[in-house]
Amino acid sequence: MAASGATNDEMMDIGGAELDNNKNEKMFTLKKWNAVAMWSWDVECDTCAICRVQVMDACLRCQGDGNRQAGGKQPECVVVWGECNHSFHHCCMSQWTQQNKRCPLCQKEWSIQRMGK
Amino acid sequence: MYELMTMASMMEDSPNAAKRPNFSAISNSNSNGISKTNSVLMVKSGVAKKLVIKNFREKPKLPEDYHAETWKKLKEAVVAIQSSTPISYCLEELYQAVENMCSYQKASQLYENLREVIEQHVKETVEPYIRGVQDRKIFLKEMEACWQAHCRQMIMIRSIFLYLDRRYVLQTPSIPSIWDMGLELFRKHVIGQQLAQTRTVDGLLMLIESERQGDVVDRLLLKSLLRMLSDLQIYQDVFEHRFLQATDALYTAEGRRLMQELDVPEYLAHVDKRLQEENERVLHYLDGGTRWALIHTVERQLISEHLGSLLAKGLENLLDNNRIQDLSLMYNLFSRVKNGLVELCTHFNSYIKKKGRTIVIDPEKDKSMVQDLLDFKDKMDNIVLTCFQKSEKFVNSVKEAFEHFINQRPNKPAELIAKFVDSKLRMGNKEATEEELERLLDKIMVIFRFIHGKDVFEAFYKKDLAKRLLVGKSASVDAEKSMLSKLKQECGGAFTSKLEGMFKDMELSRDINVAFKQYVANLRTDFDSAIDLTVNILTMGYWPTYPLVEVNLPKEMVQYQEIFNKFYLGKHSGRKLQWQPTLGQCMLKAIFDNGKKELQVSLFQALVLLLFNESEDLSYDDIKTATNIEEGELKRTLQSLACGKARVLMKEPKGKDVTEEDKFKYNLEFTNKLFRVKINQIQMKETNEEQKATEERVFQDRQYQIDAAIVRIMKMRKTLSHQLLVSELYNQLKFPVTPVDLKKRIESLIDRDYMARDKENPKQYNYVA
Repeated sequence: MAASGATNDEMMDIGGAELDNNKNEKMFTLKKWNAVAMWSWDVECDTCAICRVQVMDACLRCQGDGNRQAGGKQPECVVVWGECNHSFHHCCMSQWTQQNKRCPLCQKEWSIQRMGK
Repeated sequence: MYELMTMASMMEDSPNAAKRPNFSAISNSNSNGISKTNSVLMVKSGVAKKLVIKNFREKPKLPEDYHAETWKKLKEAVVAIQSSTPISYCLEELYQAVENMCSYQKASQLYENLREVIEQHVKETVEPYIRGVQDRKIFLKEMEACWQAHCRQMIMIRSIFLYLDRRYVLQTPSIPSIWDMGLELFRKHVIGQQLAQTRTVDGLLMLIESERQGDVVDRLLLKSLLRMLSDLQIYQDVFEHRFLQATDALYTAEGRRLMQELDVPEYLAHVDKRLQEENERVLHYLDGGTRWALIHTVERQLISEHLGSLLAKGLENLLDNNRIQDLSLMYNLFSRVKNGLVELCTHFNSYIKKKGRTIVIDPEKDKSMVQDLLDFKDKMDNIVLTCFQKSEKFVNSVKEAFEHFINQRPNKPAELIAKFVDSKLRMGNKEATEEELERLLDKIMVIFRFIHGKDVFEAFYKKDLAKRLLVGKSASVDAEKSMLSKLKQECGGAFTSKLEGMFKDMELSRDINVAFKQYVANLRTDFDSAIDLTVNILTMGYWPTYPLVEVNLPKEMVQYQEIFNKFYLGKHSGRKLQWQPTLGQCMLKAIFDNGKKELQVSLFQALVLLLFNESEDLSYDDIKTATNIEEGELKRTLQSLACGKARVLMKEPKGKDVTEEDKFKYNLEFTNKLFRVKINQIQMKETNEEQKATEERVFQDRQYQIDAAIVRIMKMRKTLSHQLLVSELYNQLKFPVTPVDLKKRIESLIDRDYMARDKENPKQYNYVA
């Protein structure tokens, strides 16, 4: 718990002369704000249906490569959204579309709506 | 003259002759009866005159009594030598006489005669003389003198009878040389007598024993007599055996006694001294062949026999007190005997395990655990290095023992190591230079290597790293990076990829913020109070998960947040941002009666303080409604503002703890000697919860890993018995698990239809595709 007993702050004399000048100013003003925010892909389902890995992580293939090359996530292992709004790892999907041009979840024709950046 | 020449040259040859006599009793083998200066005569014989020698017309004849006369002469000389009286004939004459006797085929008779004379002398003169003396020491002295005299006489005699020795004896293999005959007779009549022999050997043993007790004895006497035994070739039979027996008995008793009386270091020093003494004994008077058996006996009785009790009694103490010299001695002594080092190593190993366990197991000592571990490791390493000669067996033993005891207490050491590293990498740790820090980190990695379940370490390390990065508390980027690369080396890229990702996030955030500042500058905003907003954008999944909280921000902060959202999502499509108010930091300008201050506060503290711009007094409930901060968090925040060291707020009623009935107003009279004041957050309770949460997360992860491993194995094997499955799992899983854990996971997978029990054999599992 917090240490207590240091009350000498109150005992000290007030020596300020600029009291009046500051009357109109606010007591506290926010000058700096160091905020923290987490980003994640804006997806409905957070697992890639093709490789069963979370879309936030690198896809299975990239993880294997990454381990071998002693690097982390590959920069190109991003998320891709189809027109059907389903999302997958871009790596996984480009493999998939070589054999089948349909979305693996809804069987609609696959066309890319947007890519993660 | 010719004879002299041959004789001189033969004398020079004689040391190399086949039947080489043993002149042990006399140091210079050349100084025998015949003076060597005779050989100078032959130099003159270089005259180049031809001389024709013709045979006698009549064959010369010897006088009838020539043999008897000659023998009489020779015998006289021998007796003179034996009685140490001057010889009445010149040596050349005697030598000539021997040669003549040999030439006239009287060699064997001459030999027999000589033998008789010598035997008689030895028998009659020497034997009773030796029997007569009673005192042991005097007896030994007399014996030695007698032996020396005998040798001297024999050499003299042998010189005179050299021709016989070389001519007759050498060609007749069945008889010993004159010298050997002398030895044989001495052996037979002096030492061969049971009484004399026993007395000699007893006397020798007594002398050695008294030297072992610390007395000074006549080593030359010992040496001479022992050489005598060697020369007579009875050293092993009559002496060595009894000597070793006596040694064995002495050291058996001494070992037992001193083990009781002395403490271990003293005992070891004593053993060392004893070994040195015995070695010296061999050097000074014992026969070289005795060395091995003698030293072996000492080692067996003083070390081997007490190996166990020495270790049990002394090792712990020596190790505790870091007695480097004693430990070195122990190692050296133990290395002499069979199993000595194996035993030492075993005890050393269990000492480490025992001591180490006390460091690790006691929650009271958690605070100093890591430092204690480091110190302990240093100490043990130093002992192995300086005392145990860096023997590989011991090095490995240290490793094995550390790995064993450190995992006696699951998870906690890993957690504490992570926290220890944090404390060293955090700013304000100025006690060490970069190199010292680097060395320390290396040492920590050595300890870390022993830990099973490195995931616990990772979780705590990550949490602390996040704190260091977000609050900007990291002491040195280089040190952070170096620690990271060490971890990577130790555990592989997969282990550190997320940690690396955290560093990358920090770098990217810096760039984003530069871009954002420009973006804001170009916006031409209409709000006057410019807030300097920097945002750290973290990739979800790399960082620890933080609780999601919703709080009410002031209008202008919301505005800023929205601007940033727009800016960021415009650059990175497909992403969403989740703000983390718990991690926010603010700087507030505050005006107090005696001056302006800058307050370094958390976002929550800032939110509370900003409320006081509108009203002077606020109740707990007012603040709670306005900010929407979660209750526990709010109480801690208010406590830090009103009860901490820097009290910006005043609480009514006063007290250490915040309750829901409290009222607050700002402290206009706030003073502090600093312009920039940091108001610490109160974290006590939180860390406990945090720690639990982190631990739980690790355990959760472990369950998934167990599940994954089970499925992987079953997929490969299709069917497997419970036992085989469990043993394979133990091979694959890198963290400690109990069989109960595994059983639970298997049950759960059966429930979820990943696998099934075999219908006929319930102890067998089948993989379900």
